[in-house]
Amino acid sequence: MTPDILIPLLAATVQSGTPILFATLGAIFCEKSGVLNLGVEGIMAVGALAGFAVSYYTGSVWFGFLAGGLAGMLMGGVHGVVCLGFLGNQVVSGLALTILGVGLANYLGTPLIGLSASGFVPVDLPLLARIPFLGPIFFQQDPLVYVSYGVPVGMWYFFKYTRAGLRLRAAGENPDAALAAGIHSVNYRWLGVLCGGFFMGLGGAYLSLAYTHMWANHLTSGRGWIAVALVIFAFWNPLRAVAGAYLFGGVMAFQFRLQASGTHIPSSFLLMLPYVLTLSVLVFSSWKGGSSATPQALGVNIEPAD
Amino acid sequence: MKQPADIVIALEGISKSFGKVHANKDICLTIRKGTVKALLGENGAGKSTLMSILAGRLQPDSGSITVDGTPTHFSSAKEAIDVGIGMVYQHFKLVESMTVAENVFLGQEGGRMLKPRAMETRVRELANAYNLDIDPAATVADLSMGEKQRVEILKLLLRKSRILIFDEPTAVLTPQEGDELFKALSFMADQGKSIVFISHKLGEVMRVADEVAILRKGEIIEEKSISEVTSKDDLARMMVGKETFLSVVKNKVEGGELVLDVKGLDGNGLKGISLNLRRGEILGIVGVAGNGQKPLVETICGLQAPEKGEITILGKSWKSFFSRRKNQDTLSYIPEDRIGLATCPSMNLSDNFLLTTRKGFKRGPWLRRKRVESESQNVVDRFSVLPGHISAQARHLSGGNLQKLVLGREFFRNPGLIVAEQPTQGLDIATAKAIWDHLVTARESAGILLVTGDLNEAFSLSDRVAVMFEGEIVDLFEVTDMEKRGRIGLMMAGAA
Repeated sequence: MTPDILIPLLAATVQSGTPILFATLGAIFCEKSGVLNLGVEGIMAVGALAGFAVSYYTGSVWFGFLAGGLAGMLMGGVHGVVCLGFLGNQVVSGLALTILGVGLANYLGTPLIGLSASGFVPVDLPLLARIPFLGPIFFQQDPLVYVSYGVPVGMWYFFKYTRAGLRLRAAGENPDAALAAGIHSVNYRWLGVLCGGFFMGLGGAYLSLAYTHMWANHLTSGRGWIAVALVIFAFWNPLRAVAGAYLFGGVMAFQFRLQASGTHIPSSFLLMLPYVLTLSVLVFSSWKGGSSATPQALGVNIEPAD
Repeated sequence: MKQPADIVIALEGISKSFGKVHANKDICLTIRKGTVKALLGENGAGKSTLMSILAGRLQPDSGSITVDGTPTHFSSAKEAIDVGIGMVYQHFKLVESMTVAENVFLGQEGGRMLKPRAMETRVRELANAYNLDIDPAATVADLSMGEKQRVEILKLLLRKSRILIFDEPTAVLTPQEGDELFKALSFMADQGKSIVFISHKLGEVMRVADEVAILRKGEIIEEKSISEVTSKDDLARMMVGKETFLSVVKNKVEGGELVLDVKGLDGNGLKGISLNLRRGEILGIVGVAGNGQKPLVETICGLQAPEKGEITILGKSWKSFFSRRKNQDTLSYIPEDRIGLATCPSMNLSDNFLLTTRKGFKRGPWLRRKRVESESQNVVDRFSVLPGHISAQARHLSGGNLQKLVLGREFFRNPGLIVAEQPTQGLDIATAKAIWDHLVTARESAGILLVTGDLNEAFSLSDRVAVMFEGEIVDLFEVTDMEKRGRIGLMMAGAA
């Protein structure tokens, strides 16, 4: 492959990996606190709609982006009320959240279909953009991509070097031990659910504000589920999530280009590629022993002391 | 004997009831600076309740707690921690995936940001100051039980706890780790810490304690200095209240036919195991937990296939024995895990009874419920399983009663081979005695493989004893061989 083909492909890889990256990081943040959230798909859908609507009505793309995050946080809050407030089943609540979120976004978004709003456009970073090969791939992107470079590092730092991060991890690993140390794990699970929802919402908003500049039904098209699988692939490590997200971004960008090139392979098969990859990634992770990285109390509600 | 030191904590007239049960009745207890106080009692004597009150997790119905001469009232565990009372639980409260330093600092980080290096240095200093050997950067999941316990101790030391409560601290340790713990306890006491040590093992209490308080049925029967205790038997008598200690009447049973023959069993952590067992005989397998007992039991009971070697069970090869359901009626497995493996927690007693036997209870595909109920009620009565009705769910039974139910159920099947794994672990002496008597009775018609960590149990019940170390049988001898019994500690440690 010549650089003329490769560089645009890799740049597209970064772009299509970014929404998955945000969503995966959100899911990691949530799961690290011990709350399983299978509602990523629904939360992304709502985030995408909120982002687009706010951007459309206010004209400010940054407000839109923030609104996407806040909408995701709100959805995360619903999950929190069910699982942390009423000790509901996390799997069921998450699945319900997906159905609710996707349905809600499609319903509320109907008047916006086909409209376009101002979105993010690529901005070259001074100096960095001129690095040969890497520059066009990583530093001639839209501002949200640059934001996404910082989040994994920040999250890694948060887990390792802050008190709240340590306690949040303890809440996800062994709430009983946390309690013995005088920590109320439920508070940190709330932090996990809300901030996790925020990042998932940002992932959705990226789709409607930067990836496309329009609203359409089913904009998320399964990316939330890919994020759920990527959490396992990343062994719950925010830095590894980058690799996973770009791997999927690459496959998506590749199949898109292959379709455009007028190949004879039926498009349905090409569209299946990311999901085939999802399955392979899950098999790979369990083969590599990823289950030992699972937060030990993931999916287990904290029963109040009697 | 140390000079009586200042009283740090005084409990007076503490009472606590749960419903109609008086867990603690009018308890008075003093804890002095720099002393190790042992709290000795059977299961259910109220030790844990008393310590939970002291640690602020439970509030007493009446009575007062005085700390350093000022009356105090704890309404939460945090308040007890704040005055310097810390507890090392039997089940460690550690986050396995975190490092030692992270665990020690969890909840007392001292700032919003963490400094892993500084944390590790601080933990190392603390560990050195108290002679505790630990790597602060190690992940807790990789540690031995003894090391994990040290992490728990370090947590309390970092909090500057003055009163350290240990709930049955040696239950999970190897003998060597136990010795190190005792050294650490004495050392901490010398540094002015007060240690409270909950136990039902007499030997260790005699070794490590300065003072002992004996609890029976929620009351303090006796509180005295260890130098005034003349012998272990004294303590045992006070603890149990009756002379049931360490005696099993065992008639000689003539050896019958071979029920189990293991030849050169290899793999799954086992190395060349050979042993045999006859009807009418109890073969004790002793050793520190984790030296191959588990795979041996699981292979004999058909839970995993032997990799190499031959096993003959009741005259049939392993493969043919386990290929037919009917054969298995003659093998009984009494597992260590009573609530998870032996019984289903949320099923009632008669359904649990049916788990391993349906003989005579079937008519075609239907169950004969009436008959199941009358037979299981029979077993419940005969083995005095409390509460004495079959509609109770298994999870509501205490460990001892559950074990009696399991025994009754297994003996009902008239097995030819019984594999009993830690049958009296965690049970009080009276229940353990009842279980021993049942096992000895069952021996008349079966061969029993008794896997136990309790040497006293092994010596009292067995006809022969096999010692396991690192997957091998180090020695196998008649229980009457006093010379070898004397060296058993060395054999278990792999030094003989």
